[in-house]
Amino acid sequence: MSTRDLVLAALFAAIIVALGLVPPIMLGFIPVPITAQSLGVMLAGVILGAKRGGFAVLLVLLLVAIGLPVLSGGRGGLATFVSPTAGYLVGWLFAAYVTGYLSERFVDRSQSSIVQIAGFFLAALAGGVVVDHALGVAYLAWGTGTGLMTAFMGDLAFIPGDVLKALIAAFAGRAVMIGYPLLPQRA
Amino acid sequence: MFGSEFPSPVFRSIERSRHRGTGLDIRFEQAEARFEGRTVLHPLTLSLGERRIGVIGLNGSGKTTFARMINGLVVPAAGRVTVNGFDTAKDGDKVRAEAGFIFQNPQNQIILPILKEDIALGLKGRKLSKQETEAAVEAVLSRFGIAHLADRRAHELSGGELQLAALASVLVTEPNILIMDEPTNQLDLKNRDLVERTIRGLDENVIVISHDLSLVADFDRVLLFHEGRLAADGVPQEVIARYREIAA
Amino acid sequence: MKTLYVEGDTFLHRLSPRVKLVALAFSSLLLFLIDSPLFLAAAAVCGGWIYASLGLGWRQSLLRLRPILLTIAIVAVFTLVLNSPGQALTVLLRLTALALLAAAVTATTSTGDFIDEITLAARPLERIGLVRAADLGLSIGLVVRFVPEVLTRYQAIRDAHHARGLKPRPLTLAVPLIILTLRNADEIAAAIDARGIRAQK
Repeated sequence: MSTRDLVLAALFAAIIVALGLVPPIMLGFIPVPITAQSLGVMLAGVILGAKRGGFAVLLVLLLVAIGLPVLSGGRGGLATFVSPTAGYLVGWLFAAYVTGYLSERFVDRSQSSIVQIAGFFLAALAGGVVVDHALGVAYLAWGTGTGLMTAFMGDLAFIPGDVLKALIAAFAGRAVMIGYPLLPQRA
Repeated sequence: MFGSEFPSPVFRSIERSRHRGTGLDIRFEQAEARFEGRTVLHPLTLSLGERRIGVIGLNGSGKTTFARMINGLVVPAAGRVTVNGFDTAKDGDKVRAEAGFIFQNPQNQIILPILKEDIALGLKGRKLSKQETEAAVEAVLSRFGIAHLADRRAHELSGGELQLAALASVLVTEPNILIMDEPTNQLDLKNRDLVERTIRGLDENVIVISHDLSLVADFDRVLLFHEGRLAADGVPQEVIARYREIAA
Repeated sequence: MKTLYVEGDTFLHRLSPRVKLVALAFSSLLLFLIDSPLFLAAAAVCGGWIYASLGLGWRQSLLRLRPILLTIAIVAVFTLVLNSPGQALTVLLRLTALALLAAAVTATTSTGDFIDEITLAARPLERIGLVRAADLGLSIGLVVRFVPEVLTRYQAIRDAHHARGLKPRPLTLAVPLIILTLRNADEIAAAIDARGIRAQK
């Protein structure tokens, strides 16, 4: 990784951490506050691509592991990794990577804006919702012994919110791509 | 290394150590810089040996590119640049050990949270003992009168303090030449004067890029860049007068 | 940034970080392999005793453990309703024991010690060319350095919204925040290279 890639990943990790420290933001059209940290994970993939986005999330997880309370609500420390919801947390790493990989593959600057937004949305959906929730449910089911069905039922409540975040990530990703393009492009 | 105590920071000149004051020999030989297919600095042949050199010009005139070429951050697309005999394209690490660079925004120069950890980072490749590293950090911070800030967090420092910290972070490695890009930009009058005094007190060879004309008014030589070319080169008054004509 | 490390001189503080981490990994393995409620209950009590021995006091301990204990309680209640009381008890005891042990390691190991361990653990990855071990410590430092700057910028963007009578929305906050922050990357990277901190390959 070049020094610039390293710095981009570190700055994005700082953004993800900061998003956990600010108060929840209200959505415009429905009165629901959203915690922006998992949005940050999708954004890392959409904006930085697989490798750098994944590294950004890895840095956040390392900060959690070394005892910094960087997750929303001031959570952190090794205990977070043995919590029933640890699968979602570790899943972030794969979520960012998959989102980034798909974004690099299917979105480029020459496309029309609708195609770009749709591409980013599907990438964020695949990484941030499918991959992350699959890992989250799997660990919840295995770690607590409740069985997949029970775990999945509990998980369902969080899916609409994350789909919404994937949509926000898609719009934000496209806006950043126009303002400051960073996503590695295929030759 | 340094002597032990430097109570009054900025004005004291200090004993020259092995790196400093060994003269300066920067050569541009038909060196050209391009950025995204555009020529930002036309082929330039020049040699620099003065102790204090100012670089002025309008925004986008190529002066920052020129400065970045001296320390190898920008390598020539054609021609070559040498610093005390080292080619910037081939011996990047050696060139950067000769020439330190202070960026426009000192905020981006301090990269670790605690000031003294950041200063120590530049010494990592030196294989110094822990005590030697601590002594070097302490000495360079004292030299700029900011030893009391050693344990502070970088984001708590004021603009002037950050500019001094950036100087310390670069000078701890004892480069021969110090290149500064707009060192007084964004500073209030008090901190601007502090930085000006500090620059005057430096023993190193300095190259200062600035819009602040009074800062370079008594330098040994001033270069004026305009539209990617060297437009004037000489003593400050003449070059500054030429700059006023161009800007008018 | 505050850390969850607590200064102290207990037995756990003096123990080498590596021993603590290996012990933690080993105990979590045991806790997942053994289903006996008696063993799990003993482990939870043991975890509580270890955590209490750090001398943080009730208030501090509760403040630190509340989020995770709450999550565990919710999952246990779920299990009770949907599965069986026996399973709920197993979940409760196992996860509580784990959480207490992990939190005890976190509270007694300094950030610097952790970074040393991570750097060491990354050495094999360096050999296969995946990461440079020294980069990890540098990157962690960079993140901690720039979080306050990002927060300041966030505040400024929020203020700009209010000044212009706009309601802050995720999109209008996130986009300028990201662009303004990442724009500094070039200069920070140049500063790292100019200072020769990451010696070129």
